Amino acid sequence: MDNYEYILETEHVSKNFGNLVVLKDINLKVKKGEVICIIGPSGAGKSTYLRSLNQLEKITSGKIFIKGDLFLHREKDHTVERIDKQTQQKLLLEMGMCFQRFNLFPHKTVLENICLAPVEVKHEDKETVKQEAMELLQKVGLADKANEYPNRLSGGQQQRVAIARALAMKPEIMLFDEPTSALDPELVGDVLQVMKDLALEGMTMLVVTHEMGFAKEVADRVLFMADGIIAEEGTLDRIFNHPENPRTQSFLKSVLNV
Amino acid sequence: MKSFFKNLFDVKNWKKKTKITWIVVLCVLAVCCVLSAIKPSEADMKLQASEQMQKLIQADENSTRKHVTVTYNSLIIVNYCSFSTSGASEINEKYVGFAGQVFHADEGVGKFVGQMVNYTYRMLGCGENILHGAKLTLLLTTLTTLIGVILGTLLALGKISRNKLLSKPCSAYIFFFRGTPLLIQLFVIYYSLPAIFGFAWRDLFDAADNQAVYKGAFIAALIAYGLNSGAYCAEIVRAAIQSIDKGQHEAAKALGLSYGKTMRLVIIPQSVRRMVPPICNEFIMMLKDASLVFAISLMDITTISKNIMTSEISYIVFLPALIIYLIITAFFTWIFNAVEKKFSLYE
Repeated sequence: MDNYEYILETEHVSKNFGNLVVLKDINLKVKKGEVICIIGPSGAGKSTYLRSLNQLEKITSGKIFIKGDLFLHREKDHTVERIDKQTQQKLLLEMGMCFQRFNLFPHKTVLENICLAPVEVKHEDKETVKQEAMELLQKVGLADKANEYPNRLSGGQQQRVAIARALAMKPEIMLFDEPTSALDPELVGDVLQVMKDLALEGMTMLVVTHEMGFAKEVADRVLFMADGIIAEEGTLDRIFNHPENPRTQSFLKSVLNV
Repeated sequence: MKSFFKNLFDVKNWKKKTKITWIVVLCVLAVCCVLSAIKPSEADMKLQASEQMQKLIQADENSTRKHVTVTYNSLIIVNYCSFSTSGASEINEKYVGFAGQVFHADEGVGKFVGQMVNYTYRMLGCGENILHGAKLTLLLTTLTTLIGVILGTLLALGKISRNKLLSKPCSAYIFFFRGTPLLIQLFVIYYSLPAIFGFAWRDLFDAADNQAVYKGAFIAALIAYGLNSGAYCAEIVRAAIQSIDKGQHEAAKALGLSYGKTMRLVIIPQSVRRMVPPICNEFIMMLKDASLVFAISLMDITTISKNIMTSEISYIVFLPALIIYLIITAFFTWIFNAVEKKFSLYE
């Protein structure tokens, strides 16, 4: 069953908006349980890359494999190999996503937010889903907020609910798109703690972040992206302490010396 | 809903403005009660008639042919009574009763008040029961808005669909019905369609029914207004749907929800809250546009006031019509404000 080498693999992923090249030939191989932090200046294509993984952006060309199965293959803005909808949906659900702006459903309570997708998409039993949702809320430390509406919660609490909502679909890969950028500094800690716990449990994670401290603590690998390419890639120690690319050097210098 | 009623009776925590409004309303109601209790009765009014008129009325009682027309209208706190004979010896006597007193209504303020009471009474009471004209307007507006919202939602979903075969006709429909006058649309549906396809609106009903013509006209008006309102509601619904943050679509998609489920479970429930204020506005617009049915002779407030104008040759008849419309819209504005407040709770 699990006879794949890499849980997530992208080959030659490129993305253009008209003439503007956003992503240029990105290759990445992720092993199960790896935590990868993507850092880089704004406009480097970090978020676009993450979003194109679960089809929120349509890539111009490239291949994406999930758990060894082909998920997407496009060339020149056209899908080359058609993958049947069911397989694609199954592979899509292996990825959970958290957004910068949380994007909780404001008309539903915290519990309803979490239960919506498992019930509607996976057609699971309502009571079981509810129990699992409560366990997830316990895990992110918000069990007492189950029946609140999202707008009654602080940003940090909303982001933790968003993480629980993504986890409710039992994904194998979690994508975080700047999860702490929209938060007050004092609320960042709780969210990062939840993410650290997840990392320790062996969740495969791709995190676009500006939290260098978090990257230092949990990342197995760090990607430095600039101008649509992976400018530098390597272990934590190598990127932070011995960067080779001058772009990386100047970026880290400006970020770490603040 | 429960909390809505709870708030309604929770007098202690009412806002000052609400309290003052209620105090004023209750005072007005109390004054009205007193005034209506002491207003002269019908018999009192009839006793006011001059001796000559009294004799004529008495004579009428024993003969089958009536010489005197007696009109009596009562409008909550005021009543109005008129006696008139026709023919060579024409005599007119008009009285207004108010606060236990009876006034002559031949000229000045008395005449004006008398006419207003008479016209208002006739406008509301024309037809088989009292409030007939207002009932027709309200029925037409309510049904129209219902049809408009349902049709509008379908059209809006069609218009924003990525399928061109669906979106183009929906756009064309909306363009057509927003780009032509409602009155002409009404004429086309009431007159032109039957002429082209060879049917009559009254055929929808039993030929023995003497109201069939009016019922047919009502159906035609309902169709015309519904189609028109659908186009306007479609734009409201579309704007509301498109005003929902793109992140909501993305979150739903990332969770694996299909387009249909995203719309049904995430987007539309949120946009409903944004649709409520403009839909309420549309209802009030429709309420006023409903006056156009005078053009196909449906007996609403406007048609009746126009008929009174023609028969009485009196031009102030439109003033009570204005006031009736104003009272109806004020009532609905008040209701809609409460509804809007309720729907904007989480935003």
